[in-house]
Amino acid sequence: MISISNVSKQYRGSARPALNNVSLEIAKGDFVFLVGASGSGKSSLMRLMLREDVPTKGSVNVLGENLVGIPSRRVPFFRRRLGVVFQDFRLLPNKTVAQNVAFSLEVIGKSQGFIQEAVPEVLRLVGLEGKADRLPNELSGGEQQRVALARAIVNKPALLLADEPTGNLDPATSQDIMALIERINLAGTTVIMATHDRGIVDRLKKRVIELKDGEIIRDQIGGSY
Amino acid sequence: MKFVFSEVAQSFRRNLSMVVSVILVTFISLTFVGTASLLQMQIGEMKNYWYDRAQIAVYMCSDVSASDVCPQGEASEDLKAAVKEKLESNTLSQYIEKFYFEDHEQAYKTFQEQFEGNAVAKYVTAQQLNETYWVKLNDATQSQIITESLTGVPGVEEVRDQRSYLDQIFSILNAASLAAIGVAVLMLFSAALLISTTIRLSAFSRRRELGIMRLVGASNFYIQLPFILEGVVAASVGSILAGGAVLAIVQFFVQGYLAERLPFTSFVGLSDGLLVVPLLILAGILLAALASGLAIRRYLRI
Repeated sequence: MISISNVSKQYRGSARPALNNVSLEIAKGDFVFLVGASGSGKSSLMRLMLREDVPTKGSVNVLGENLVGIPSRRVPFFRRRLGVVFQDFRLLPNKTVAQNVAFSLEVIGKSQGFIQEAVPEVLRLVGLEGKADRLPNELSGGEQQRVALARAIVNKPALLLADEPTGNLDPATSQDIMALIERINLAGTTVIMATHDRGIVDRLKKRVIELKDGEIIRDQIGGSY
Repeated sequence: MKFVFSEVAQSFRRNLSMVVSVILVTFISLTFVGTASLLQMQIGEMKNYWYDRAQIAVYMCSDVSASDVCPQGEASEDLKAAVKEKLESNTLSQYIEKFYFEDHEQAYKTFQEQFEGNAVAKYVTAQQLNETYWVKLNDATQSQIITESLTGVPGVEEVRDQRSYLDQIFSILNAASLAAIGVAVLMLFSAALLISTTIRLSAFSRRRELGIMRLVGASNFYIQLPFILEGVVAASVGSILAGGAVLAIVQFFVQGYLAERLPFTSFVGLSDGLLVVPLLILAGILLAALASGLAIRRYLRI
């Protein structure tokens, strides 16, 4: 599903590489936590898997695509096959919950019929039935992240990338969101989640990959923070 | 598609002043381009018309001619006959469509007609005006042959191709139209820059949507289309206005004003204008599509 080998990433104007000779394999259906201090290279690694960046050297294969050699016109079609959520939700403030989810389907050319069916269904799945017509600023942080998750999974992606999805949420709300992400994983979606939340990592007992100064210092199944 | 058009409409509302300035700049610059090309057509038309009528004047010596070219004074009958013979000879006659002789009396009559009401008409006498052979060539561009073979012949004061007067007028008109094209090119350049700035501004005001669109995998074409359309629609409005202005200039200024005051000149008409207008609109649309396409491509590197 994901195969990264000997990847280094050096940003221009910085002496130390953000990633240094990183290799890892992630199988279909895995749930992986990426942990490590700020600046350890978690976000750089996520950016490479999203093809927001290309590595300075090494190879990145995600969902069967070689992300180093992929022509830029094919990148959008690659991104349709995965879902992404962020710490800051990234919702459109002037669109309602349903419109936010529908927008991501409209812009990839899905039919109105499909959208009218898929949006209510995914909102029910994330527990937002009855809030379809609210605007994002009328929702709590946890509810906003649910909208973002709904948008990420509405297209039934094989892979969900989550960059500190609970970073802005209180512990109780974080638990709800994690329960939802676990459900998504159980349904067959591979999940890669970068996080600083020790409690979540310790409780879920999933595979943990720890980065330090751009290198993998631990890759442990059933690990803790 | 519905989404694309609603994006364009929304962006127009948001950037109204920039859109208006794009419309105005393309309008004015393309009006310049259109007028300049009509002026070029006009020059072509006048050249056709006047070169067709232009003749070569072989001025014979008169009493008042300068003595260094006409030491013998008034050209005698023999000298006139010699020139006539030369014009009728095989070497020259093959180039000549026709020629005729204008004597003092006829020259005086023409002069009086041309300068009627002018003070000079009162003082000039028939003897002061040159007797002239007017030569019409088959091909007006070959005037040099006549000029060379008759200049310096005894009794000939000067050989003058009328085209040399016309060429001065045409070169002035030509310079004017080139200047207009120069101004137009500069303005088109600034129009292109203005379009790309407008597009960048409107991309910046939509950066949230753009970020999400890229994230969920909207295709580059789908992301870029609203911006390109935005530039194209604004520029089309400008070029249609420019087309209207060019047609109005032809109809009301050239045909309605100039043509009435200068009845013996043929002017560009609406049909010439209608030839220029589609080209103007096409140029405006192409310019806008290129400028906005390049601008959005640079802003939205994937």
